[in-house]
Amino acid sequence: MWEVMFWPIAACVLLPWLLVYLGLHVVARGIIFIDIAMAQMASLGICLAVLLHLDLESPATFAIALGFTFVGAAIFSLTGKRESKVPQEAVIGISYVVAAAAAVLMLSRAAEGDEEIKNMLVGNILLVTPGDVWKCLGLFALVGAFHFAFRRKFAFASFDREAAYQQGLRVRLWDFLFYASFGFVVTSFVRIAGVLLIFTYLIVPAVCGINLATSLRDRLLIGWVLSLVGGVVGLLLSFYFDMPSGAAIVCVFGVLLVAISGIGALRRA
Amino acid sequence: MKIRSIILIAALAAALLPSAQAKLNVVATLPDYAALAREIGGDKVDVTSLAKPTEDPHFVDARPSFVVKLRTADVLIEGGAELEVGWLPPLLQNARNEKIEAGKPGRVVASQGIRLMDVPATLSRAAGDVHASGNPHFMVDPIIAKAVAQHIAQAFATLDPANAAGFQANSAKFETEINAKLQEWGRELLPFKGQQLAAYHDSWVYFAHRFGFALETFLEPKPGIPPSPSHLADVIGKIKTDHIKAILVEPFQNRKIAEKVASSTGAHVVDAGQFPGPAESYTAHIDQLVAAVAAALK
Repeated sequence: MWEVMFWPIAACVLLPWLLVYLGLHVVARGIIFIDIAMAQMASLGICLAVLLHLDLESPATFAIALGFTFVGAAIFSLTGKRESKVPQEAVIGISYVVAAAAAVLMLSRAAEGDEEIKNMLVGNILLVTPGDVWKCLGLFALVGAFHFAFRRKFAFASFDREAAYQQGLRVRLWDFLFYASFGFVVTSFVRIAGVLLIFTYLIVPAVCGINLATSLRDRLLIGWVLSLVGGVVGLLLSFYFDMPSGAAIVCVFGVLLVAISGIGALRRA
Repeated sequence: MKIRSIILIAALAAALLPSAQAKLNVVATLPDYAALAREIGGDKVDVTSLAKPTEDPHFVDARPSFVVKLRTADVLIEGGAELEVGWLPPLLQNARNEKIEAGKPGRVVASQGIRLMDVPATLSRAAGDVHASGNPHFMVDPIIAKAVAQHIAQAFATLDPANAAGFQANSAKFETEINAKLQEWGRELLPFKGQQLAAYHDSWVYFAHRFGFALETFLEPKPGIPPSPSHLADVIGKIKTDHIKAILVEPFQNRKIAEKVASSTGAHVVDAGQFPGPAESYTAHIDQLVAAVAAALK
């Protein structure tokens, strides 16, 4: 078993910590589908690279994909006004469908066979390579360090927006930095693990943490423990029952969430 | 715990008695190669197919057992010609099995030595999901299948010389069977010779070529690209003017589009799979294909 499952398990142990942390921000800001919109922005960039006949693995392609997520970051930070009648989630949803539809149009013009593109966009955690894990971990360490250095500003902008505005924090700037760093993380993790998994790692541990604890530190700890348990148990189940690995992990997280909500309800009762 | 100790004992027994049961462990990427491997190997081989018959050979979902099977395989039979390029390389990279590395006797590339059709003169991504080395859907031509069977027999014979004669005999038997069947299939399809067929994807050129059909009309505008409304309008016009009676659709393709085209033209949708079922033999599968096409053209 180890020969097959070692690197998937390593990926599920070494990488989700940053997603759990970002997930707490995402849930607090109420922008649940931001990751899917960002991933779609990145794939739109890759479609453009295909139109320009660039090599899919080249740095130029990665740069274009990243550039598109920055465009997304700019859109989301500009539309996240202090008093807006339109919820941010609506803008995110619109960005997603337009980016997805534009990708379809571009591909029909480019007429590239979509095997490689699909593979590039939607990774499979089972087939992760050591190189993928180290590269992603390096990138996560950088983004993590950035967020750690400015954790107070980010926390202010996410968890206490009104006070942030009142104290004159440049909320738009911090929003942009948040979304841009988030785009980095999503673009690289999606290629390893796919859209289902990244969504799960962002949202489920955060929701469980919020259910059970009040301080950011406790929520993070609960989320981290949960992300380890869910990932490893899901991978083991996927091995012993021979199921697609990503989907198995997601369903384990679903079960964990139900169990933990039950515990939370009992404690409050 | 119990299962683990049983496995341990079995592994020990296997290690101590290497000659007691030396079946070749054969992994085929697709069910058609698996069917031929069973035909040639008989009870001297264990055959598994990674893809299911109803799965799109261009996109196959990897499961942990795929890696396990590839790790322990003695032989890997693949189509090559970029058919499995989207999913096999990462699996092989994770399996790290020397026996089935490219160029080793345990790696059978079925397209080797086959003259592929539709080799693009110039390579451009603008032509759609084109395979640079030619159309890889060649197994629906029984004469090519004979050559592939011979190729497989040679590989088995190299890896298991003790049973070489048996493998060659099975290959010869398969060849005779196909030769006899070709007469039968030819008779069944003779009345429709020269007629046009339409298909969703360009996976039937070899079949059309072998049995004397023309095949130029595809519901996809380019391989791997979903149909656009204007293209479908063209296809409908062409099917009407050329009186095309059959549209071949595979299980993983969008049957609704074919039905729409069929209902506005009077053509029949033929559910045609490239791949034999898990227990189906190659000839039984072609039997079924020929019968389905003949029924639609009547």
